Amino acid sequence: MKLYTKYSRVNLVATILVLVAGSICYYFIVRYALLRQLDNTLKVEEAEILDFVKNKGRLPEPANYNDQLIRFKPTEFPVRRRFRSISLYDQTEKEKDPYRTLIFPISVQGQNYEVSVSKSQAEKEDLLVLIVVITTGVVILLLLLQFLANRFLLRKIWHPFYGTLGSLWEFNLTKKQPIPYHPSDIDEFNELDNAVHQMTDKIFQDYETLKSFADNASHEMQTPLAIIISKLDLLIQDQNLEEKHVRQLQAMYDAVGRLSKLNQSLLLLTKIENNQFVHTERIGLSELVDEKLIQLEELVEARKLKLAFDKHETGVQMNSYLADILLNNLLINAIRYNVDKGSIRISLTPNQIKVSNTGLPLAFQPDTIFDRFKKGNYSDGTGLGLAIVKQICDKYNFGLSYHFEEPMHVFTVRF
Amino acid sequence: MKLLIVEDEKILSDSIVSYMRHENFTCETASGFSEAVEKIELFDYDCILLDINLQDGNGLDLLKEIKANNKMDGVLIISARNSLSDKITGLTLGADDYLPKPFHLSELSARVAAIIRRRNFGGSNILRFNELSIDLQAKAVFVNGKLVELTRKEYQLLLYFTYNKGRVVSKNAIAEHLWGDEMGGAANYDFIYTHIKNLRRKLMDSGSEDYIQSVYGMGYKFTAS
Repeated sequence: MKLYTKYSRVNLVATILVLVAGSICYYFIVRYALLRQLDNTLKVEEAEILDFVKNKGRLPEPANYNDQLIRFKPTEFPVRRRFRSISLYDQTEKEKDPYRTLIFPISVQGQNYEVSVSKSQAEKEDLLVLIVVITTGVVILLLLLQFLANRFLLRKIWHPFYGTLGSLWEFNLTKKQPIPYHPSDIDEFNELDNAVHQMTDKIFQDYETLKSFADNASHEMQTPLAIIISKLDLLIQDQNLEEKHVRQLQAMYDAVGRLSKLNQSLLLLTKIENNQFVHTERIGLSELVDEKLIQLEELVEARKLKLAFDKHETGVQMNSYLADILLNNLLINAIRYNVDKGSIRISLTPNQIKVSNTGLPLAFQPDTIFDRFKKGNYSDGTGLGLAIVKQICDKYNFGLSYHFEEPMHVFTVRF
Repeated sequence: MKLLIVEDEKILSDSIVSYMRHENFTCETASGFSEAVEKIELFDYDCILLDINLQDGNGLDLLKEIKANNKMDGVLIISARNSLSDKITGLTLGADDYLPKPFHLSELSARVAAIIRRRNFGGSNILRFNELSIDLQAKAVFVNGKLVELTRKEYQLLLYFTYNKGRVVSKNAIAEHLWGDEMGGAANYDFIYTHIKNLRRKLMDSGSEDYIQSVYGMGYKFTAS
């Protein structure tokens, strides 16, 4: 629920409650006041009648005027003075009208009378109705204003907030685009904007530090690796080596080879991330695949793999070095994780290249296959080959997907 | 032949010196920029191995210095920073080749030999070893003047061996040389065995002696004895 929807909902309920309660109180207070006023008029009338009887020693004429009725009724019983609200039938308007009546006793020459003075309440009732109508009108007007305020004013006020929010959604660490400022005359929004800027600046800074650290660490490792390899190269020149030493030397060679490959792969990933491969050209994929297949021929033969290549003249715009790496890694992957006497199928169409290979089932979740250092237990690779493929595809907005289509592992790159 | 090794990592330059000494090379070392400048001004070298990242200066500046002095020395850049821009800058400034660290000494030796050969013999050159002759221009191999049909990889392999005569070359170094970085860390190098076997057979069938010895299955040695 949007903040202002929530807010207006609460506001709406509160406003209605307060206004209704207020109107009810108002109604009763006004009603009470009007009644008191009416009662006072009736008391004045009573005083006039008592005065008249006292001075003249007889009853005045019963009179009906101005919605005022005065009646005298002889009575045997004692009469209690009291006010009453009654309805009387109006001859002229042919309907019942509300009246306020004061009943009091009077005694004239030994005869007891019950006097009732009535006054119409109709005007006062009309006034009350008017009050209710006005109150309701005010409520409706208020709600309407609130609605319009939400609609136009709030939208305008919240605009910078949504701007900041949108920029946060679009925030991409690797693109290094700073978030634009969204100036506002609301302090909270400005504060938010500043906080977001401070945060993203810090993130960019940390990211750069981390990246240059990884970069430097990888570079610094090259020289020690070169030393180890050179010493191994010298060691195997020794004529007095024994068979058992040689086996250990071979293990060291292999390990240091893997280490240096790993290091190179990490450096490559960093370089792609840093956009160090700017130059692009049109790459003929068909020719490149052919070239790669010649290069990898011995590997394919060594495992006795069956190779099928569905050719199509396809050109993509990309960096030639990265194109080479992309195909190389896909093909090496298809060879390395194949089974002996298995097969590889490459199919190239104008929009995609598909590399399929037979192989053991995956030992991990298929959706993590492009993650760094993800590899099966039986793998001796660096675990970075497909991560590099992914990084290259991401750079050029190519779609990269993997699925298992019995009995083939299928990798598809869509251009 | 005279070599100058400009490398601030002493252990590494020692390794290079011990490896290169085998092949009629006189090696001198310089551990820093100023020392290198001094030596370059005083002597002529057939090839200078130049590390870009020196403690007291940039190897590329040294390269500019060499070229400004109209020195004919061949230059091989060795760098821990395998960056395309460094490579391009280096080659544009007149370096002959660029070798990123880490490298096998046999690879270094082959590159140095290739540079010296190009500089000393100009375009056409024939490499001779007893009854073998390799035409580098035509990429053809002859035994006693008779052409031997070799595949591209077999030719490269033979050339690599002749550049590392008398020394053991590891299978790892051979795989990297023939198949590049991409092959590094391959599970086994059995396919190399097949290649070597084919090369030996072809050479011997053409009347050559068997010069390629296997060393404990971990490497090979090309030697006359």
